[in-house]
Amino acid sequence: MQKPTNSACEGCDLNQASNLKKLGINIDNNDYVVALAGNPNTGKSTVFNALTGLKQHTGNWPGKTVTRAEGGYNFNNNKYKIVDLPGTYSLLSTSQDEEVARNFILFGKPDVTIIVVDASRLERNLNLVLQILEITNKAVLCLNLMDEATRLDIEIDDRTLARDLGIPVVPTSARSKEGIPELLKTVHQVATGEIICKPHRIKNVPKNINNAIEKLRLEIEATYPNVPNSRWIALRLLDGDERIIEAVKTGEFITE
Amino acid sequence: MKTNKILNTSNDLRWQIGEGFHDKLTEGIYSDAATIAQNSVHKKGDAKRFRFDRSLDKIVTSKIWGFPIMILILSVVLWLTIIGANYPSGLLADLLIGEIYPWLKGIGESLGFSWWLSGFLFDGVYLALAWVIAVMLPPMAIFFPLFTLLEDFGYLPRVAFNLDHLLKKSGAHGKQALTMSMGFGCNAAGVIATRIIDSPRERLIAIITNNFSLCNGRWPTQILIASIFIGALVPENFAGAVSTLAVIAIALLGIFFTFIVSLFLSKTMLKGEVSSFTLELPPYRPPRFWKTIYTSLIDRTLIVLWRACIFAAPAGAVIWLISNVSIGDSNIANWMILHMDGFGLLLGLNGVILLAYIVAIPANEIVIPTILMLTVMSAAITGVGEGNGVMFELESVPATGDILKAGGWTLLTAINLMLFSLLHNPCSTTIYTIYKETKSVKWTTIASILPIILGFTVCFIVTQVWRILA
Amino acid sequence: MTNPVTLLIIFGIVLVLLFILFYPKTGFYWRLQQSYKTDPKILIEDILKKLYHAEDNGTKLSSDHIINSLNSSPKKILETISEMEDKELIRFKKGEIKLSETGMDYALRIIRVHRLWEKYLSEKTGFHKKDWHEIAEKMEHKLDSQQTKQLAINLGNPRFDPHGDPIPTETGEVEQLNGKPLPKFKEGAIGRIIHIEDEPEIIYKQILAEDLHIGSHIHIIEKNKKRIVFHSEGEEFILAPIVANNITISELKKEDISEKDTFRLSNLKEHEHAKIIGISRECRGEIRRRLLDLGFVMNTKIEVDLTSPMRNPRAYLVRDTSIAIRNEQAKFILIEKIKIHAETN
Repeated sequence: MQKPTNSACEGCDLNQASNLKKLGINIDNNDYVVALAGNPNTGKSTVFNALTGLKQHTGNWPGKTVTRAEGGYNFNNNKYKIVDLPGTYSLLSTSQDEEVARNFILFGKPDVTIIVVDASRLERNLNLVLQILEITNKAVLCLNLMDEATRLDIEIDDRTLARDLGIPVVPTSARSKEGIPELLKTVHQVATGEIICKPHRIKNVPKNINNAIEKLRLEIEATYPNVPNSRWIALRLLDGDERIIEAVKTGEFITE
Repeated sequence: MKTNKILNTSNDLRWQIGEGFHDKLTEGIYSDAATIAQNSVHKKGDAKRFRFDRSLDKIVTSKIWGFPIMILILSVVLWLTIIGANYPSGLLADLLIGEIYPWLKGIGESLGFSWWLSGFLFDGVYLALAWVIAVMLPPMAIFFPLFTLLEDFGYLPRVAFNLDHLLKKSGAHGKQALTMSMGFGCNAAGVIATRIIDSPRERLIAIITNNFSLCNGRWPTQILIASIFIGALVPENFAGAVSTLAVIAIALLGIFFTFIVSLFLSKTMLKGEVSSFTLELPPYRPPRFWKTIYTSLIDRTLIVLWRACIFAAPAGAVIWLISNVSIGDSNIANWMILHMDGFGLLLGLNGVILLAYIVAIPANEIVIPTILMLTVMSAAITGVGEGNGVMFELESVPATGDILKAGGWTLLTAINLMLFSLLHNPCSTTIYTIYKETKSVKWTTIASILPIILGFTVCFIVTQVWRILA
Repeated sequence: MTNPVTLLIIFGIVLVLLFILFYPKTGFYWRLQQSYKTDPKILIEDILKKLYHAEDNGTKLSSDHIINSLNSSPKKILETISEMEDKELIRFKKGEIKLSETGMDYALRIIRVHRLWEKYLSEKTGFHKKDWHEIAEKMEHKLDSQQTKQLAINLGNPRFDPHGDPIPTETGEVEQLNGKPLPKFKEGAIGRIIHIEDEPEIIYKQILAEDLHIGSHIHIIEKNKKRIVFHSEGEEFILAPIVANNITISELKKEDISEKDTFRLSNLKEHEHAKIIGISRECRGEIRRRLLDLGFVMNTKIEVDLTSPMRNPRAYLVRDTSIAIRNEQAKFILIEKIKIHAETN
């Protein structure tokens, strides 16, 4: 995978980031749709505000955004629409929040998904990250709250993390807008295909379960050859997720 | 069908794996996460949480200080709201009702509006709107930002943590403490705030019982009636204190009903709903003062105000119409008052109060102006008021009391009004919000009807017992 | 104005009437509903179930037994029994009633629905354990075979109901439990709870009050005619043999016995450190998933972070985050205490 390089061009790219034109809600004719996912209390809405300039309220409280908030911005002459998903710990249960988030990533097929994580509690946040990486290939990890991590004496090697996860990692402190220009640039590169992600897939699964997943995955691929996340669908079928069973019947997740 | 084949395979495999798929999968993901984190995270110290957070948490959740701190903060917030709102409310009323209202009437006259058009538009629709804005906006503009500051700082989850055990006894969720507090500001906002409760049963309980939190629209009614009728019972020196105590007693009664009704709901209608409790205590984060004030104004205050206005405008029209359209030899309002008087008196209220609560369903704020207007009209009092269908309020508290007493009010009526103001259907903004949040006609109906049944029952019993004792 | 006393009396009478009519379960309205639906089908199915359970226990049933154990008029029961004989669901053998093959199939079908429904209640709803049986008792007469099939698929074709009873398969096969009632074991034996019988209600309620969990390991400490004492998950339990008889235990082989001392998270004291072993099978459905999602998974280190002023809930430090749960939920999380002073991680 490629990382945003520190070439001479970076200056001009960042310059363009400063040209960032902030748009309000309700923008049509978007070139790209970006989803914003993450655990509660990771400063997700602050990132959203930093990207759009929209004054969405950011509560220090789990599960604030129940319905999706939408906004938009311009970058490199492309219009981006950005959707703030409810903060969730996981996508495996069936709570209302999780369904909203899950359905958007699966059925809404965003061009890029930004996953916001709390740098000071990375391990816990990776639970959601790994699940999202089963669903989508195009994602950027936003390593937020770097300031808090530093205060806790935590150092994160973002290069190693990017290699292990197979997606670009951008450290940010959204409250002070640090790292936001880099985030915009990376999202753009993933959206345009300049960076190709090779996301990590969940490995530590017991053998009998893995065999079952593989068997089912092959069958799904035989019926729907173009499904990018067949393995994840297999996972959900084995967990008895009724929404996904319904989707398999109608084939709605493959409609391009 | 190919898809059926997939589903059949999946069913077979599920049977083979048996239970524990979800457990194994989650364990797998977390162990992957641990490996990845180990590769890239280097902790220099062993601090798992900020030392400041921990020390603060030890205090705010301590046995000795936990509850006093909470009560203190809530009291300060409510005090600031009620006291602080008086001045801007007065200013707004002067502007909207004292200045703009006559100006609008003047314009209507110069454009040659007929009396009914100008009455309908300005006395009905405009006046209701003006009243709602003047009375509703200032307290909300103070209450919500204060609340949001506490929320952003991270204190509110600690309140839920402290109070969960109490609330659990009535089958409710710790976070209901917050939606209740929010309800003291506005029930509609309180209902929206129940989104933070992730357990379906407890969320419904919180929604249905939020109405028992005495909202901003009802505090002024309680204070006014208490100072006219209850403060008058004791020597002047104590009047203020006694009437304040009476209002606090009503608010506490509301909390009592919240518990009783929560218990009742969780034992009966909500028995089968899933229930769980998990609560993350996030790190404290310094709120950004101005941004918070700005966003909470936009997010909460204006949205709620906008909804209230949408409902208030037609209500103003209705109030004006029933007072000016006649059937036979009396207008609709008088006719309704006459027919509801018997039932009203049975409850220790009267026809005017019942009619006022019917037409003022959009906002509790316009109950008192409506009652005054209807009282003056039905009792044919001359010399006060602005005419049929024109809501008004008087500067002087004793003068207001005189009108009410002329309308047949006694101490019993006052007590019952205070009770009924606590125990009646939610305002239409709240009902609409409940429907939006639950998407269920059944729960919306229950939430609307349950408090009014309680209100009737309580007022009836109080009245009859009072009559026996008197 | 009417006399207030009269009014209050009228009000009181109305209230009492409403109470009598609609009081849950015993209210007149509910009874009326009940009596409406004692149609022959339900009675047939109830008799079939009685016979099945009797055969399963090896006891013999006569018509008198059935009349005594069911809530219908003797005349109606006798009529139904003869009707069942005509339909070849049962046959008489020396005054004893036996299930025919068709009768057996029918009985298994009803039991399948009953146990599936209990499974459903435990996984997808918030009904308390003590209510499952009664609700399932009603639903077992209502679902047709297509609905039952769909229900089983939605639940992932479970093999056991929440009490540990095997659910008969669609073709009528029933797995056998390889365990024995608790009183059959000797002092010192170690086993696992595989089944808790939910009938009769009086005994089941006593077991519920003890808060024993299916799937937990037990170690029998003392056994005599008056009582059985055993340890499980760091707590001591004392049961009368008649109560213990409704708990089925499967003995553990030596290699399955772990050396670790298992405790419930609710037992963890402040300043103690522990590692999560797992979540009890008794914790189900949405609540179980939520706990897992929050990181209460095997091998996770855990310690008490904060205790609320009323000692419940408590917040635990799990994967660097403070998460509060109630003690009622913490009971389901099984831990092993560890001693650390100089932890490097």
